[in-house]
Amino acid sequence: MTTLTISGLRVAVGGKEVLRGFDLTMHSGEVHVIMGPNGSGKSTLAHALSGHPAYEILGGSATIDGVELLSLSATDRERAGLFLAMQQPMEVPGVRLIDVLEAAGADPAGLHERMADESRRVDLRPELLERFVNVDLSGGERKRAEMVQFGILQPRFAILDEIDSGLDVDALGAVARRLAASTSEWGCGVLAITHFRRLLHELTPNVIHVVSGGRVVATGGPELAEVLERDGYEPFRESAPL
Amino acid sequence: MTSFAESATSFISTRPDSELRGRAWSNFESVGLPTTSDEVWRYAPLSELDLEHFAVPATPTLVPPSEFATALGALAASVVRVVDGFLVDIGEPIDGVTVDLNPTMTTIGGDDPVERYASDAFALANAALCPATVVVTVAAGTVVDDPIVIIHSANASASFPRTHLVLERGANATVVEYYEGGADALVVPVSEYRVEDNASLRLVTYQRLDATAWHVARTTGLLERDGRLSQAVLGMGAHYDRSRNDADLRATGAQNELRTTFFGSGSQVHDFRTHQFHRAPRSRSTLLSKGAVADTSRSVYTGLIEIEKGAKRTDARQTNHNLLLSPNAHADSVPNLDIRENDVVCAHASSVGPLNALQRWYLESRGVTRSDAERLMIQGFFLEMLDALPPALARLVEGDVALALQSVPVIA
Repeated sequence: MTTLTISGLRVAVGGKEVLRGFDLTMHSGEVHVIMGPNGSGKSTLAHALSGHPAYEILGGSATIDGVELLSLSATDRERAGLFLAMQQPMEVPGVRLIDVLEAAGADPAGLHERMADESRRVDLRPELLERFVNVDLSGGERKRAEMVQFGILQPRFAILDEIDSGLDVDALGAVARRLAASTSEWGCGVLAITHFRRLLHELTPNVIHVVSGGRVVATGGPELAEVLERDGYEPFRESAPL
Repeated sequence: MTSFAESATSFISTRPDSELRGRAWSNFESVGLPTTSDEVWRYAPLSELDLEHFAVPATPTLVPPSEFATALGALAASVVRVVDGFLVDIGEPIDGVTVDLNPTMTTIGGDDPVERYASDAFALANAALCPATVVVTVAAGTVVDDPIVIIHSANASASFPRTHLVLERGANATVVEYYEGGADALVVPVSEYRVEDNASLRLVTYQRLDATAWHVARTTGLLERDGRLSQAVLGMGAHYDRSRNDADLRATGAQNELRTTFFGSGSQVHDFRTHQFHRAPRSRSTLLSKGAVADTSRSVYTGLIEIEKGAKRTDARQTNHNLLLSPNAHADSVPNLDIRENDVVCAHASSVGPLNALQRWYLESRGVTRSDAERLMIQGFFLEMLDALPPALARLVEGDVALALQSVPVIA
């Protein structure tokens, strides 16, 4: 079993401390969900762990089986087993996904076919992946292209930053099923950031973390999502008693 | 040893139009090679250029085409082969397409070639010394689906290829001009393209000469009513790579899309000049120039948009991005506008800087190393230019570009 441990993580962006002592531990094969109001630090967590150049690590650690990720390059963090599916995947004109995946270490033999298979699993037309990375793709198509990369690279842990936004109901179901299957296919640990419970209809979480003010303020089982849906985030605001 | 001038005059005397060529030659001699005190040549390493290293060939030196040229030809509708400026193979016949050898030197607009290139020494040299004018004509209304490939090999120490592409009314074709060879050689191509009413030419010029070559090229597009010229110029090779690409939008509704890109390494100089001349209403031009310079290489981009009085509702846009991949590389960007009509839309933007850090991070976050990410992004500059080509042919050129870039150290 593999373990991702985030402890005391403090991150600043634009000179402002956004994550203020974030703690989370999860194991391979588990599904954890992070929910929280806008501005609570969810995307900051995703970007900082993946080495986005605009995010400054002020303290804390993030390890996979004891290997410190925060001292590694973005490349080596992915190679250590951490993958980020982005909220807004960016366009890279002139670059093709198949070349990216090959450079990332994917086995070139049968890669084209594996990409097509992964596309179909998330209801994405495989020919869209012939275009330059994310160029002329809709928001929802980009999200599914991220899922194709996820399926090819098979990371030990994947952070999915609002993978559900921009997807219609059918695509959302397909993405949720793909994620759920990964937990048994290669024991992937799935860390999904979302605002919406509907992702969880077909992706059953083991643990839900509520984030507010840059740290985890509540942790519980799937029932926590129902509480949030009923009562909103207000009872969980950082200063509020639990 | 024969001097360059001796080889030139001896060559000219064998031509049927030796009188006209003699006039071009004497103008070349009186204009003289430019010097770096001339503003438009100030970045050229002209002190290293000694014509006495070169001789004008009387016949082509035939060597087998490279593997890449052969593969390129295999995907074409027809392959025209030009060696040292001499037409050696007119290719497979295609309905509605003719490939002619005009033994005289002409301009596509029919104007006096010596007048037309009056102050341009290299174009005058081409006028005097081209073996012939290779003329590819696509007849009115003809649509050619697969590309016509023109393979230029430069095997002699000097060559002066002269090419005309004529798309008659309503014709539609894709042409690839590919240049290879050129070790220690001077290669001076002059190409002219006439796109008649409502015709469309998609053109890719791929320059992959030896790193020791002097390449001084000039192209001119003449665009008639609603004629469309979509041109991509890729400069990879040569010690000094000069590429001047002009478009004369002479009739209403003419459209020119020009995309130029280059990659500089070692001590290469890429020197790109463009001139979009809008002479008629509702003409449109878009120009995208993207280049990257590594090591101690340098680049110059100078582009002029000129809009004549009366060319109402013209839309002209010019964008230039330069990438600096080494602290010792240098890029200059000089956009110019000369607008004599008020009712126009005209825009230009230019930038010089490193690679987009967020795009690079995105690739790195997939597990791609920094150097691979940068190589993919630079290669992407070229790949973006190839979308006029059918996928199989684009893939082939992409592979060749990737191969060329692999040997270059990229220093961020």
